[in-house]
Amino acid sequence: MSVVALYLLLLKATITSFAGMGSLPQVRQDFVVTHALISDEQLSQAVVIGRSAPGPVGAYVVAIGYFADGWPGAVAAWLAMVTPALLVIPLLTLLQRWLHLPRVKAAVDAVVIASAVLLLTSVIRMAMDAFDQLKRVFG
Amino acid sequence: MPGTTDNVRKPDTPGQMRFETPSLRTLAWLVCYDVNRTLGGLASMELLRRSLGARGWITDEDHALFVAISRLTPGTNILAYCVALGWQLAHWRGALVSLAAASIPASVIIALLSATLARVDEYPVIRVVIAIALIVATLLVLATAWNLLRPYIKGTNAVRTGIIAVVVVALVLMRVPPVRILLVAAILGVVMASPAAPLVAEVDR
Repeated sequence: MSVVALYLLLLKATITSFAGMGSLPQVRQDFVVTHALISDEQLSQAVVIGRSAPGPVGAYVVAIGYFADGWPGAVAAWLAMVTPALLVIPLLTLLQRWLHLPRVKAAVDAVVIASAVLLLTSVIRMAMDAFDQLKRVFG
Repeated sequence: MPGTTDNVRKPDTPGQMRFETPSLRTLAWLVCYDVNRTLGGLASMELLRRSLGARGWITDEDHALFVAISRLTPGTNILAYCVALGWQLAHWRGALVSLAAASIPASVIIALLSATLARVDEYPVIRVVIAIALIVATLLVLATAWNLLRPYIKGTNAVRTGIIAVVVVALVLMRVPPVRILLVAAILGVVMASPAAPLVAEVDR
Protein backbone atom coordinates (compact mmCIF):
# COMPACT_ATOMS: atom_id res chain seq x y z
CA MET A 1 0.00 0.00 0.00
CA SER A 2 1.35 3.46 -0.93
CA VAL A 3 2.09 6.07 1.75
CA VAL A 4 -0.69 8.30 0.37
CA ALA A 5 -3.21 5.45 0.63
CA LEU A 6 -1.98 4.77 4.17
CA TYR A 7 -2.46 8.46 5.03
CA LEU A 8 -6.00 8.46 3.61
CA LEU A 9 -6.89 5.25 5.45
CA LEU A 10 -5.68 6.67 8.77
CA LEU A 11 -7.29 10.03 8.03
CA LYS A 12 -10.62 8.22 7.58
CA ALA A 13 -10.21 6.86 11.12
CA THR A 14 -8.99 10.07 12.78
CA ILE A 15 -11.47 12.40 11.10
CA THR A 16 -14.45 10.28 12.13
CA SER A 17 -13.51 10.06 15.82
CA PHE A 18 -14.03 12.52 18.66
CA ALA A 19 -11.28 11.49 21.10
CA GLY A 20 -7.69 10.30 20.83
CA MET A 21 -8.62 6.63 21.17
CA GLY A 22 -11.93 7.07 19.35
CA SER A 23 -10.31 6.09 16.06
CA LEU A 24 -9.44 2.61 17.36
CA PRO A 25 -12.52 0.74 15.99
CA GLN A 26 -12.06 2.16 12.47
CA VAL A 27 -8.29 1.55 12.56
CA ARG A 28 -8.90 -2.10 13.47
CA GLN A 29 -11.53 -2.45 10.75
CA ASP A 30 -9.23 -1.06 8.03
CA PHE A 31 -5.77 -2.19 9.13
CA VAL A 32 -6.50 -5.59 10.69
CA VAL A 33 -9.77 -6.85 9.17
CA THR A 34 -10.02 -5.35 5.66
CA HIS A 35 -6.42 -4.87 4.52
CA ALA A 36 -4.49 -7.09 6.99
CA LEU A 37 -1.65 -4.54 7.17
CA ILE A 38 -1.03 -5.29 10.86
CA SER A 39 -2.08 -8.03 13.28
CA ASP A 40 -4.40 -7.68 16.30
CA GLU A 41 -1.31 -8.12 18.49
CA GLN A 42 0.46 -5.20 16.78
CA LEU A 43 -2.66 -3.09 17.19
CA SER A 44 -2.64 -3.78 20.93
CA GLN A 45 1.09 -3.02 21.10
CA ALA A 46 0.50 0.28 19.31
CA VAL A 47 -2.10 1.21 21.94
CA VAL A 48 0.33 0.29 24.74
CA ILE A 49 3.13 2.36 23.17
CA GLY A 50 0.76 5.27 22.62
CA ARG A 51 -0.37 5.20 26.24
CA SER A 52 3.17 4.76 27.57
CA ALA A 53 4.55 7.84 25.83
CA PRO A 54 3.77 11.36 27.03
CA GLY A 55 1.70 13.66 24.84
CA PRO A 56 -1.54 13.35 22.88
CA VAL A 57 -3.43 10.08 23.36
CA GLY A 58 -4.22 9.90 19.63
CA ALA A 59 -0.50 9.65 18.82
CA TYR A 60 -0.82 5.86 19.01
CA VAL A 61 -1.64 6.03 15.27
CA VAL A 62 2.04 6.85 14.66
CA ALA A 63 2.87 3.35 15.97
CA ILE A 64 0.16 1.91 13.67
CA GLY A 65 1.77 3.71 10.73
CA TYR A 66 5.23 2.46 11.75
CA PHE A 67 4.05 -1.15 12.06
CA ALA A 68 2.29 -0.91 8.68
CA ASP A 69 5.07 0.73 6.64
CA GLY A 70 8.11 1.70 8.75
CA TRP A 71 9.24 5.34 8.98
CA PRO A 72 7.29 6.58 5.91
CA GLY A 73 4.19 5.05 7.51
CA ALA A 74 4.92 6.83 10.79
CA VAL A 75 5.16 10.19 8.97
CA ALA A 76 1.89 9.50 7.09
CA ALA A 77 0.24 8.61 10.41
CA TRP A 78 1.50 11.83 12.04
CA LEU A 79 -0.02 13.82 9.16
CA ALA A 80 -3.30 11.89 9.50
CA MET A 81 -3.32 12.67 13.23
CA VAL A 82 -2.75 16.42 12.88
CA THR A 83 -4.97 17.10 9.84
CA PRO A 84 -8.37 16.94 11.61
CA ALA A 85 -7.16 19.39 14.29
CA LEU A 86 -7.04 22.14 11.65
CA LEU A 87 -10.82 21.81 11.28
CA VAL A 88 -11.12 23.64 14.59
CA ILE A 89 -10.49 26.94 12.79
CA PRO A 90 -13.59 26.95 10.53
CA LEU A 91 -15.53 25.20 13.34
CA LEU A 92 -14.66 27.99 15.74
CA THR A 93 -16.30 30.44 13.36
CA LEU A 94 -19.23 28.28 12.20
CA LEU A 95 -20.29 26.76 15.51
CA GLN A 96 -20.68 30.14 17.14
CA ARG A 97 -23.39 30.69 14.50
CA TRP A 98 -25.07 27.23 14.34
CA LEU A 99 -24.55 25.32 17.61
CA HIS A 100 -27.54 26.92 19.30
CA LEU A 101 -29.82 25.04 16.85
CA PRO A 102 -31.19 21.97 18.70
CA ARG A 103 -30.92 19.61 15.71
CA VAL A 104 -27.29 20.49 15.00
CA LYS A 105 -26.38 20.07 18.68
CA ALA A 106 -28.31 16.78 18.86
CA ALA A 107 -26.48 15.36 15.81
CA VAL A 108 -23.08 16.29 17.27
CA ASP A 109 -24.04 14.83 20.68
CA ALA A 110 -25.23 11.58 19.06
CA VAL A 111 -21.92 11.18 17.22
CA VAL A 112 -19.97 11.70 20.46
CA ILE A 113 -22.14 9.10 22.26
CA ALA A 114 -21.75 6.61 19.40
CA SER A 115 -17.95 7.05 19.37
CA ALA A 116 -17.85 6.36 23.14
CA VAL A 117 -19.92 3.17 22.74
CA LEU A 118 -17.69 2.04 19.84
CA LEU A 119 -14.71 2.61 22.11
CA LEU A 120 -16.27 0.37 24.78
CA THR A 121 -16.64 -2.44 22.24
CA SER A 122 -12.93 -2.12 21.38
CA VAL A 123 -12.00 -2.38 25.06
CA ILE A 124 -13.45 -5.90 25.24
CA ARG A 125 -11.17 -7.06 22.44
CA MET A 126 -8.14 -5.36 24.02
CA ALA A 127 -8.80 -7.03 27.39
CA MET A 128 -9.07 -10.45 25.72
CA ASP A 129 -5.80 -9.82 23.89
CA ALA A 130 -4.05 -8.89 27.16
CA PHE A 131 -5.18 -12.10 28.87
CA ASP A 132 -4.18 -14.13 25.79
CA GLN A 133 -0.66 -12.67 26.02
CA LEU A 134 -0.42 -13.52 29.74
CA LYS A 135 -1.69 -17.05 29.08
CA ARG A 136 0.95 -17.57 26.38
CA VAL A 137 3.75 -16.50 28.73
CA PHE A 138 2.61 -18.34 31.87
CA GLY A 139 0.61 -21.22 30.37
CA MET B 1 12.03 31.31 26.66
CA PRO B 2 8.82 31.29 28.76
CA GLY B 3 8.04 34.74 29.94
CA THR B 4 9.49 36.58 26.97
CA THR B 5 7.08 38.53 24.82
CA ASP B 6 7.68 40.41 21.64
CA ASN B 7 4.37 41.60 20.31
CA VAL B 8 1.02 42.88 21.45
CA ARG B 9 -2.42 41.66 20.40
CA LYS B 10 -4.53 44.66 19.41
CA PRO B 11 -7.79 45.10 21.35
CA ASP B 12 -11.01 44.27 19.47
CA THR B 13 -12.75 47.33 20.85
CA PRO B 14 -11.26 50.59 22.12
CA GLY B 15 -12.38 49.91 25.71
CA GLN B 16 -10.81 46.45 25.89
CA MET B 17 -7.60 45.61 27.75
CA ARG B 18 -4.46 45.17 25.70
CA PHE B 19 -3.17 41.60 25.77
CA GLU B 20 0.46 40.76 25.35
CA THR B 21 0.99 37.72 23.14
CA PRO B 22 3.96 35.34 23.12
CA SER B 23 6.51 35.09 20.34
CA LEU B 24 6.12 31.98 18.16
CA ARG B 25 9.21 30.48 19.82
CA THR B 26 7.79 31.00 23.29
CA LEU B 27 4.39 29.66 22.22
CA ALA B 28 6.06 26.55 20.75
CA TRP B 29 8.07 25.99 23.92
CA LEU B 30 5.09 26.35 26.27
CA VAL B 31 2.81 24.12 24.19
CA CYS B 32 5.54 21.49 23.78
CA TYR B 33 6.37 21.55 27.53
CA ASP B 34 2.77 21.46 28.80
CA VAL B 35 1.39 18.89 26.33
CA ASN B 36 4.33 16.51 26.45
CA ARG B 37 4.76 16.30 30.22
CA THR B 38 1.32 14.71 30.69
CA LEU B 39 -0.65 11.97 28.94
CA GLY B 40 -2.60 14.58 26.93
CA GLY B 41 -6.31 15.34 27.27
CA LEU B 42 -7.82 17.64 29.86
CA ALA B 43 -4.68 17.58 32.04
CA SER B 44 -2.66 19.21 29.25
CA MET B 45 -5.42 21.75 28.60
CA GLU B 46 -5.41 22.68 32.27
CA LEU B 47 -1.62 23.12 32.28
CA LEU B 48 -1.86 25.35 29.20
CA ARG B 49 -4.63 27.39 30.82
CA ARG B 50 -2.45 27.94 33.88
CA SER B 51 0.80 28.80 32.12
CA LEU B 52 -0.72 30.98 29.38
CA GLY B 53 -3.39 32.43 31.68
CA ALA B 54 -0.82 33.42 34.28
CA ARG B 55 0.96 35.47 31.61
CA GLY B 56 -2.30 37.12 30.51
CA TRP B 57 -2.21 35.53 27.05
CA ILE B 58 -5.57 33.77 27.37
CA THR B 59 -8.56 34.28 29.66
CA ASP B 60 -10.68 31.65 31.41
CA GLU B 61 -13.42 32.39 28.86
CA ASP B 62 -10.99 31.68 26.00
CA HIS B 63 -10.04 28.40 27.69
CA ALA B 64 -13.69 27.32 28.12
CA LEU B 65 -14.42 28.10 24.47
CA PHE B 66 -11.34 26.16 23.27
CA VAL B 67 -12.27 23.13 25.42
CA ALA B 68 -15.85 23.08 24.08
CA ILE B 69 -14.82 23.49 20.46
CA SER B 70 -12.02 20.92 20.75
CA ARG B 71 -14.56 18.34 21.99
CA LEU B 72 -16.60 18.95 18.84
CA THR B 73 -13.64 18.78 16.45
CA PRO B 74 -12.86 15.37 14.95
CA GLY B 75 -9.59 13.76 16.00
CA THR B 76 -7.46 14.29 19.09
CA ASN B 77 -8.97 16.93 21.40
CA ILE B 78 -5.71 18.37 22.75
CA LEU B 79 -4.40 19.00 19.22
CA ALA B 80 -7.59 20.88 18.30
CA TYR B 81 -7.25 22.86 21.55
CA CYS B 82 -3.67 23.81 20.65
CA VAL B 83 -4.68 24.89 17.12
CA ALA B 84 -7.50 27.06 18.53
CA LEU B 85 -5.06 28.55 21.05
CA GLY B 86 -2.42 29.25 18.40
CA TRP B 87 -5.03 30.67 16.02
CA GLN B 88 -6.27 33.10 18.66
CA LEU B 89 -2.74 34.27 19.51
CA ALA B 90 -1.08 34.41 16.07
CA HIS B 91 -3.49 33.11 13.41
CA TRP B 92 -2.09 30.59 10.88
CA ARG B 93 1.49 30.78 12.07
CA GLY B 94 0.42 30.33 15.69
CA ALA B 95 -1.92 27.44 14.82
CA LEU B 96 0.75 25.56 12.85
CA VAL B 97 3.49 26.19 15.42
CA SER B 98 1.24 25.00 18.28
CA LEU B 99 0.17 21.92 16.32
CA ALA B 100 3.76 20.97 15.54
CA ALA B 101 4.94 21.60 19.12
CA ALA B 102 2.13 19.49 20.57
CA SER B 103 2.45 16.54 18.19
CA ILE B 104 6.02 16.11 16.93
CA PRO B 105 7.89 15.23 20.18
CA ALA B 106 5.37 12.53 21.20
CA SER B 107 5.26 11.15 17.65
CA VAL B 108 9.05 10.82 17.48
CA ILE B 109 9.10 9.03 20.87
CA ILE B 110 6.31 6.67 19.76
CA ALA B 111 7.99 5.85 16.43
CA LEU B 112 11.29 5.12 18.25
CA LEU B 113 9.48 2.95 20.83
CA SER B 114 7.76 1.06 17.99
CA ALA B 115 11.08 0.45 16.27
CA THR B 116 12.61 -0.80 19.53
CA LEU B 117 9.64 -2.98 20.44
CA ALA B 118 9.69 -4.72 17.06
CA ARG B 119 13.20 -6.00 17.94
CA VAL B 120 12.77 -6.98 21.61
CA ASP B 121 9.25 -8.36 21.91
CA GLU B 122 10.36 -12.00 21.54
CA TYR B 123 11.81 -11.99 25.08
CA PRO B 124 9.34 -13.48 27.68
CA VAL B 125 10.03 -10.67 30.18
CA ILE B 126 9.15 -8.06 27.57
CA ARG B 127 5.96 -9.96 26.69
CA VAL B 128 4.89 -9.98 30.37
CA VAL B 129 5.57 -6.24 30.61
CA ILE B 130 3.55 -5.66 27.41
CA ALA B 131 0.65 -7.78 28.70
CA ILE B 132 0.50 -5.86 31.99
CA ALA B 133 0.81 -2.54 30.16
CA LEU B 134 -2.00 -3.68 27.87
CA ILE B 135 -4.29 -4.28 30.85
CA VAL B 136 -3.48 -0.78 32.14
CA ALA B 137 -4.06 0.68 28.66
CA THR B 138 -7.40 -1.15 28.49
CA LEU B 139 -8.46 0.52 31.73
CA LEU B 140 -7.34 3.91 30.42
CA VAL B 141 -9.34 3.45 27.21
CA LEU B 142 -12.32 2.46 29.36
CA ALA B 143 -11.86 5.71 31.31
CA THR B 144 -11.74 7.70 28.04
CA ALA B 145 -15.03 6.13 26.90
CA TRP B 146 -16.64 6.83 30.28
CA ASN B 147 -15.49 10.48 30.23
CA LEU B 148 -17.07 10.92 26.79
CA LEU B 149 -20.32 9.25 27.84
CA ARG B 150 -20.73 10.76 31.33
CA PRO B 151 -22.21 14.15 30.37
CA TYR B 152 -24.90 12.39 28.32
CA ILE B 153 -26.35 10.09 30.96
CA LYS B 154 -27.96 12.73 33.12
CA GLY B 155 -31.68 13.53 33.32
CA THR B 156 -33.71 13.29 30.11
CA ASN B 157 -30.57 12.68 28.07
CA ALA B 158 -30.20 9.19 29.58
CA VAL B 159 -33.06 7.78 27.46
CA ARG B 160 -31.68 9.30 24.26
CA THR B 161 -28.20 8.04 25.10
CA GLY B 162 -29.57 4.56 25.89
CA ILE B 163 -31.36 4.35 22.53
CA ILE B 164 -28.25 5.48 20.62
CA ALA B 165 -26.06 3.02 22.59
CA VAL B 166 -28.40 0.09 21.86
CA VAL B 167 -28.48 0.94 18.14
CA VAL B 168 -24.67 1.26 18.03
CA VAL B 169 -24.13 -2.10 19.78
CA ALA B 170 -26.63 -3.76 17.42
CA LEU B 171 -24.81 -2.34 14.39
CA VAL B 172 -21.44 -3.47 15.80
CA LEU B 173 -22.83 -6.99 16.20
CA MET B 174 -24.04 -6.80 12.58
CA ARG B 175 -20.43 -5.91 11.63
CA VAL B 176 -21.36 -2.51 10.16
CA PRO B 177 -18.19 -0.36 9.65
CA PRO B 178 -17.68 2.38 12.32
CA VAL B 179 -17.99 5.30 9.86
CA ARG B 180 -21.49 4.14 8.86
CA ILE B 181 -22.39 3.64 12.52
CA LEU B 182 -21.42 7.26 13.27
CA LEU B 183 -23.51 8.47 10.30
CA VAL B 184 -26.51 6.48 11.55
CA ALA B 185 -25.98 7.97 15.02
CA ALA B 186 -25.94 11.51 13.60
CA ILE B 187 -29.21 10.89 11.73
CA LEU B 188 -30.71 9.31 14.85
CA GLY B 189 -29.67 12.37 16.85
CA VAL B 190 -31.38 14.71 14.39
CA VAL B 191 -34.55 12.58 14.33
CA MET B 192 -34.73 12.37 18.13
CA ALA B 193 -34.04 16.06 18.67
CA SER B 194 -37.09 18.03 19.53
CA PRO B 195 -37.09 21.79 19.90
CA ALA B 196 -38.48 21.31 23.41
CA ALA B 197 -35.76 18.86 24.49
CA PRO B 198 -33.16 20.39 26.82
CA LEU B 199 -29.61 20.55 25.49
CA VAL B 200 -26.91 18.63 27.30
CA ALA B 201 -25.28 21.85 28.44
CA GLU B 202 -28.56 22.98 30.03
CA VAL B 203 -29.03 19.65 31.85
CA ASP B 204 -25.44 19.88 33.14
CA ARG B 205 -26.10 23.33 34.53
